[in-house]
Amino acid sequence: MSLATLTRPWAATSYGFLDASAKRELRRKMLKAIAVPGCQMPYASREVPMARGWGTGGLQVTLTLVNPRSTIKVIDQGADDGVNAASIRRFISRVSGATETWDTLAASIVQSRHRIPEETLREDQVLVLQVPNPEPLRGVEPNMSIARQMHADADYGRLWLTLYEQIVRKGRIMQGAAYPSLVNGRHVMTPSPIPRWDVPKLNMAKHLTFLSAGREKRLHAVPPYTRVEPLVFSDRPYRVEDHAELVCRRSGIAGYFMNEIPQDQGGSVFEVSDSNLGIKAIRQAGGESVEIGATWYEDGEYSA
Amino acid sequence: MSMDMTMVPAALLPPQLMQTPALLTMTGLTRHYGEVRALLDVDVTVYPGEVLGIVGESGSGKSTLLRMMNLEDTPDRGEYRLRLPGREDGNLFALGRYERRMLCAHHIGIVYQNPHLGLLMRHSSSGNVAERLLIAGERSFEVLRSKARDALDASEFPLSRMDARPAELSGGMQQRVQLAKAIALEPALLLLDEPTTGLDVSVQALVLDTLKRLQRDRNITMVLVSHDLGVIRTMADRVLVMRHGAVVEQGLADQVFQDPQHPYTQQLVHAKV
Amino acid sequence: MAYVATRGGEKAIEQAERLFRQDLGTIDADRVEAIRQSMPYLVDRVMGEASLYDEEMAALALAQTGGELSEAVLVLRAWRTTQPRLTVAAPLLQRDLLTQRRISAAFKDIPGGQILGPTLDYSHRVLATDVLEGTPFVPPAVDPAETAAPMRQPSLADWQREQGLVGPAQDSLVEPDDIPDLTREPLLFPASRAHRLQSLARAETGGVLALGYAAMRGYGNAHPTVNELRLAQAEVTVRHPSGTPFSAGRVRVCQAEVTSKEKGGYLELGFAASFGWNEVKVIAAATLDLNSAEAPVGSPVHEEFYLYHSESVEASGFCIHFKLPHYVTFQSVLDAMRDAKAMAAKGDQDVSQERQTEPAE
Repeated sequence: MSLATLTRPWAATSYGFLDASAKRELRRKMLKAIAVPGCQMPYASREVPMARGWGTGGLQVTLTLVNPRSTIKVIDQGADDGVNAASIRRFISRVSGATETWDTLAASIVQSRHRIPEETLREDQVLVLQVPNPEPLRGVEPNMSIARQMHADADYGRLWLTLYEQIVRKGRIMQGAAYPSLVNGRHVMTPSPIPRWDVPKLNMAKHLTFLSAGREKRLHAVPPYTRVEPLVFSDRPYRVEDHAELVCRRSGIAGYFMNEIPQDQGGSVFEVSDSNLGIKAIRQAGGESVEIGATWYEDGEYSA
Repeated sequence: MSMDMTMVPAALLPPQLMQTPALLTMTGLTRHYGEVRALLDVDVTVYPGEVLGIVGESGSGKSTLLRMMNLEDTPDRGEYRLRLPGREDGNLFALGRYERRMLCAHHIGIVYQNPHLGLLMRHSSSGNVAERLLIAGERSFEVLRSKARDALDASEFPLSRMDARPAELSGGMQQRVQLAKAIALEPALLLLDEPTTGLDVSVQALVLDTLKRLQRDRNITMVLVSHDLGVIRTMADRVLVMRHGAVVEQGLADQVFQDPQHPYTQQLVHAKV
Repeated sequence: MAYVATRGGEKAIEQAERLFRQDLGTIDADRVEAIRQSMPYLVDRVMGEASLYDEEMAALALAQTGGELSEAVLVLRAWRTTQPRLTVAAPLLQRDLLTQRRISAAFKDIPGGQILGPTLDYSHRVLATDVLEGTPFVPPAVDPAETAAPMRQPSLADWQREQGLVGPAQDSLVEPDDIPDLTREPLLFPASRAHRLQSLARAETGGVLALGYAAMRGYGNAHPTVNELRLAQAEVTVRHPSGTPFSAGRVRVCQAEVTSKEKGGYLELGFAASFGWNEVKVIAAATLDLNSAEAPVGSPVHEEFYLYHSESVEASGFCIHFKLPHYVTFQSVLDAMRDAKAMAAKGDQDVSQERQTEPAE
């Protein structure tokens, strides 16, 4: 018997990079977040080999969920080949042995910055959204402790007032992305800076969604089959971006959220933001047998 | 020492008040801040539809008393009861923070001397009124608009400026916005803490006119705190005179001002002349 | 039509990293050693902000990031996260520190003496350009004092305590494993004293300096006097499972204690300490600690403001994250703006704007 036989060989990091105590804290906070939908749970937020503000919160959640049998998809602004998405995906697979994929249908975990894929997610899939600012009351109350008390008191009067003022001054709600939404009828959350187009996908979804802010050290969750209702006045219906009629110039598909590409000669053309959906459409048109899943939107209308 | 109400000759109380149960009852209120005695064993009763004036100099405890009526402060001892429709009659000082907030939002309106305390200066005037309705759960934009408009109109605030920010308005207009905000949910009780102090005399008169008209039209129960006897005389049915945290005299306003019993009240009344 | 640029992202980032590293050339142990030896204060700053004491690792971090401080701190912190937690060392007492520099602005002289130690405070700040012309700068020998300065000094605050000038110290007997640890728990407000001082200990020097300076200039309500400043070495005393305490080595530490005015009959004290020697940081940090009690919520010298904003990894990371694509959220904003403009244009044709005038009261 020797020290060498008694101990494990020293490895630079644990499985999935995070050590056991980090994962334990994250698991507990993630379970708490599921138990109180939409309520922000503070967590220690360990450092990872990536700058803060670049998805460390989402990464910590994914690293806690991942196992060698996982299949991970990572997107940024809807694209799998965005530089940051590629960097994150490479890191996760390296430290976990998980399989990488660009196909929403094949993924068990989808980590995303600022978009929800167009193909509907199933009960066996988890969506992890990267969140820069987890506090929907930030514009009304910059102090985090006071804001926390306001959530505890369900004191959202001033948030509603902000929306009222937007209609008074501009005739419509001007909130772009990150539309404040009421979860399970109790807590108001920010759905992360996803476009208004994507928020309805969270309402009574089959899949579990985590929203994690590494720098601000808070995470929250939307369990499956939970109400997510954007804050709207009863006589001013929720409006998504005006993309129903747009056509992707590369793939030809229409009725999905598009990226606007300004043209030299003036005006713009559009490309589908969910880039892998566009790729699948092109391959299908080229004769390949490619499965495109059911989508939340059909012909530009939300129909799920 | 407060005068026992039953010692007042019965003939001087308006008959209907004696038959109506009180809206507000506060008993035995005592409050110290360290060494300072803010309130000592104060009892207050307010009947529905009347205006109770509370007069005293600074340090008399009148503002502390008003803050307690608004549940912003709790006494060391004492109870507070409001007779409200659909509510159990209990000591309001025992309520939890959420219930306290909801009760204040629905049933108590307040106008502060300093508009910065009562208004969100950077939002619109109509928005300030709408906020109360939003806290109470109103979710229709049109209803918010029309109810805000109605409340501002009743406060004689010019509707062409309903979306102007209080920061852009004059002092008198700001007080009208506070008033509109306070009455938007038709509360059972309206509290006014020196509502016209600091305004130009002519403006004061106009705001008081509005208050009087509003009180008469809607039969709102008001508690009005002021150091200015003229204001109290104009508005109040009954008056409480406070000094050093205690009630020294109380009764019908006319009676107290014409024939003050307590030496301090006599001093106040004659100094005014 | 084939979909081009499907793999472009990965290739681009790989080459971008190579471009950066190419500029730095080969990194070997010699270079790391040269940095460690020649830039001790830079190494100290990095160790302090990373809250990890390892001179070699810190020098390596500097070498591989080319001296980009926020990157060096990040890579060191990321490495720190992966290291196992072995044990908690015994607390350090001021009177046990092996002190090389110790000054007080509060008194002309103090028990144990004012020890200037190594400092540039009184030097003339002149660039030694001769070095570039072939004349190396050889530091002149230090003339030893007649009597050696004592290795350890009592803490001035203890003397002040005996005089009744400073409030009695409260011994908090906390088990080592129960000491709050900012790196393992979320920071909530109001922060525990342990969390606050830990956060200041690893705060970004520039951030703490800016906010401390603001406090000194009047944004805070306490003007600091340096009660005691120390640059020292400390024994890291740990306990073997059998019970024997022993030293695991020595680390450089610095600390500052500042005071301003009387509160409740005693001098109020602010405190900060850090790994390595970084005077500017601990004096500014101690000033922020001193001002915290009376700082209005939302002011830059309130703990929630300065602790959040002096975090190196968070601040620099968020700052540079704005380089990431934000075109989806931007598209959302454009959509709302275009629609509002269209509505306004239609509105102008329908209804004329009401003139707003100031009516009579």
